[in-house]
Amino acid sequence: MPEFKIQHLTKYTYPAPVRDSANQIILYPIQDEWQEVIKQEIHISGDPVIDTFIDYYGNKVGSFTYSEPHSALLINSKILVQTKHKQLPGNDIFPAQQWEDLKQLRYMVPYIDFLRLEHFEGFNDLKALVEAEKSKDDTPYQAVLRFSRYVYDNFQYIKGVTSVETTMDEIWKLKAGVCQDFAHILTLMLRLVGIPARYVSGYICTHRSTTMRGEGATHAWAEAYIPDYGWLGIDPTNNCIANEMHVRLAVGRNFLDCSPVKGVYKGASEHRLDVSVAVGYEDDAPSMHQPGEFIDMPEHKPVTTFPKNSYQRYMEMLLQQQQQQQQQ
Amino acid sequence: MQESSYFSQYSPIKGVWDEMYGENDIRDHYSKVIDYLSRESAEDLSRKEELAKRLFMSQGITFTVYSSGEGIEKIFPFDIIPRIITADEWAFVEKGIKQRLNALNLFLKDVYNNQFIVKDGIVPIDIIYSCPHFLREMYQLQVPYDIYVHIAGIDLIRDHDGTFYVLEDNLRTPSGVSYMLENREITKRLFPDLMPQCSVRSVTEYPTILYKNLLSLSPRQISNPTIVLLSPGIYNSAYFEHTTLARLMGVELVEGRDLVVKNQKVYMKTTIGLQQVDVIYRRVDDEYLDPLVFNPASILGVAGIMGAYRTGNVAIVNAIGNGVADDKAVYAYVPEMIKYYLNEEPILKNVPTYQLSNQDEREHVFENINKMVVKKTNGSGGYGMLMGHASSDEEIEDYKKEILKDPRNFIAQPTISLSAAPCYMQGGLHPRRIDLRPYALCGPDGIEIVPGGLTRVALKEGSLVVNSSQGGGSKDTWVLA
Repeated sequence: MPEFKIQHLTKYTYPAPVRDSANQIILYPIQDEWQEVIKQEIHISGDPVIDTFIDYYGNKVGSFTYSEPHSALLINSKILVQTKHKQLPGNDIFPAQQWEDLKQLRYMVPYIDFLRLEHFEGFNDLKALVEAEKSKDDTPYQAVLRFSRYVYDNFQYIKGVTSVETTMDEIWKLKAGVCQDFAHILTLMLRLVGIPARYVSGYICTHRSTTMRGEGATHAWAEAYIPDYGWLGIDPTNNCIANEMHVRLAVGRNFLDCSPVKGVYKGASEHRLDVSVAVGYEDDAPSMHQPGEFIDMPEHKPVTTFPKNSYQRYMEMLLQQQQQQQQQ
Repeated sequence: MQESSYFSQYSPIKGVWDEMYGENDIRDHYSKVIDYLSRESAEDLSRKEELAKRLFMSQGITFTVYSSGEGIEKIFPFDIIPRIITADEWAFVEKGIKQRLNALNLFLKDVYNNQFIVKDGIVPIDIIYSCPHFLREMYQLQVPYDIYVHIAGIDLIRDHDGTFYVLEDNLRTPSGVSYMLENREITKRLFPDLMPQCSVRSVTEYPTILYKNLLSLSPRQISNPTIVLLSPGIYNSAYFEHTTLARLMGVELVEGRDLVVKNQKVYMKTTIGLQQVDVIYRRVDDEYLDPLVFNPASILGVAGIMGAYRTGNVAIVNAIGNGVADDKAVYAYVPEMIKYYLNEEPILKNVPTYQLSNQDEREHVFENINKMVVKKTNGSGGYGMLMGHASSDEEIEDYKKEILKDPRNFIAQPTISLSAAPCYMQGGLHPRRIDLRPYALCGPDGIEIVPGGLTRVALKEGSLVVNSSQGGGSKDTWVLA
């Protein structure tokens, strides 16, 4: 039973003070049979009160406001979490029976949202591709593995070419992106063949000896619903089953349901976002207290000229422009 | 009965229910008005018409038409001849609306909590979950007194035999009530002596009832809770109405930038600091209400307001997420909802509605498109609909293509003929098609409907479209005691 110490730092820096900031965080690991949160502390600069609730998909969501003028917002989440290995699906049920079982789910509340397709320009291409990829004798589990490999082989992992605002059309043309784009494509492919698929955000925790894509930041992958088994985590960015090394924060239809940190504030539109995720192990020297290396996120907007004179700052405050901030 | 020249020259439209003219004679409830008019010369009436126009203009009673890229402010054309509803007709309509609203409130409570009606297969789950206004953010969120629809503007029309049909429920941010109030004020000035003679019931209590209901929703038990009317601002087509209602109720008129959320409470910025807000009568659509949760590009809303709503620190009127109940595909199931929740037979009829996502129904509609009106399930204001009988083949083909792209977004209804009422134009009375939108207010004490409403008129001869955005006008609506 692996135990991980995770420190997730999110820091927004603004060139001039901003205010009336309202934020939402989904940084609380899911608690279930395979994942137990032993301890979690969240510190936010300015010490705002965090109000938490459970959203439609069962995720714990926190919200807080920060009204006073501030030049930075730091969210520091420290987690001690224990995970368990989840047995993989067996192959003891006939494929035809499993596909038939999946058809029954189409109009059931827990799955309907995870079967909904979105239309984009390449939709018909993707549909044809999925039909061609899928082998007739595949079980849903085998189809999941096959599609994950397809995404892994045919999409390039490049940081910075996409952002949270990149549309499916653009990703489809680029054939490249980061974990959230990989997860997005895979969920669509699975839904196309009738397998309920959802988006997952969380952390990937590997041992020192190996490196995986998605370390050092929040990670994203997919979950597919396998009849008589339940939700199976599948990470197309690393082409592996997401199991005890993946710590789940939230599930949803897509990225928007799971964004770990997002906010709206009034002030200058420029901001710098630094995110770091550092993982330590129970048998490791604690990396908990050393802030990890800050990683530039794809949508990070560099601050070109740090402010500016008092008059410009004043004018900015007057404009009280409302801005959004979102972390991938 | 004295034969008036206005009446003898009136020629009703064949096969259409005429509110004034029945069985070759004036209906009783119109006789006093026609009597009165017959004593007035055409010059007098034209002078009254002119006076009405000037009053509307000088009081700035306007609305905005969105077209050609710019908003154009216009006065809402007003016809001086009132539309008259008998006490019996009103009693029927009132009972029907109350029943409908009760069911719709129960539906909203259900669909955002236990979803019994979906589990029992009465309303197809797919229609709910594919509706863009079914907001998962509202799931299990408790609203005061379980009231979702505080204000409804239910559109009624009358078929050729006078039967009332509900056309739309308008449960989000229905507008037009200020015209009901202003039309009455103008009519009082045009026909000061006629109104008491006819014992017309008063509509002026509307703001008082609404204010009483808003007050009762305050989460803080204090003597003077802060109530605000949240408007999108001066560019909104109903801005005149927002100012009018705020003034009549004596509440603050605010825009999103005047409010701020702090620790799950909403505050209004004032010259003496922040003042906590208890109740928000919002005229901003759900999508724009909270940029943190909904459309992040919205600058009309207040970031974090959803959190304040969820924690019960502020009441929002109407509730968020009501759109799922007035989606036109869901509308088709309202009679079923009435049976399901209330165990009653529906009093008011629904217009038969074809779901274009259903292949059989779609084919039927395409074959009979000349007899159909096709609408977007989430459209409003008469934008983007197709009137089969009045469209060219090319328009129909284009529209069909549009439908096939996403059939869930369209429904079709057989063309209902709409009743006609006399309008004063070119020195005489002429029949024009009308509808009726009464405004129902739902509070902890129940549903109240002021006797009256907005009667909209299709001023163009032969037109069936009454929407103000499509060249419609309005009339004062008299409900007789």
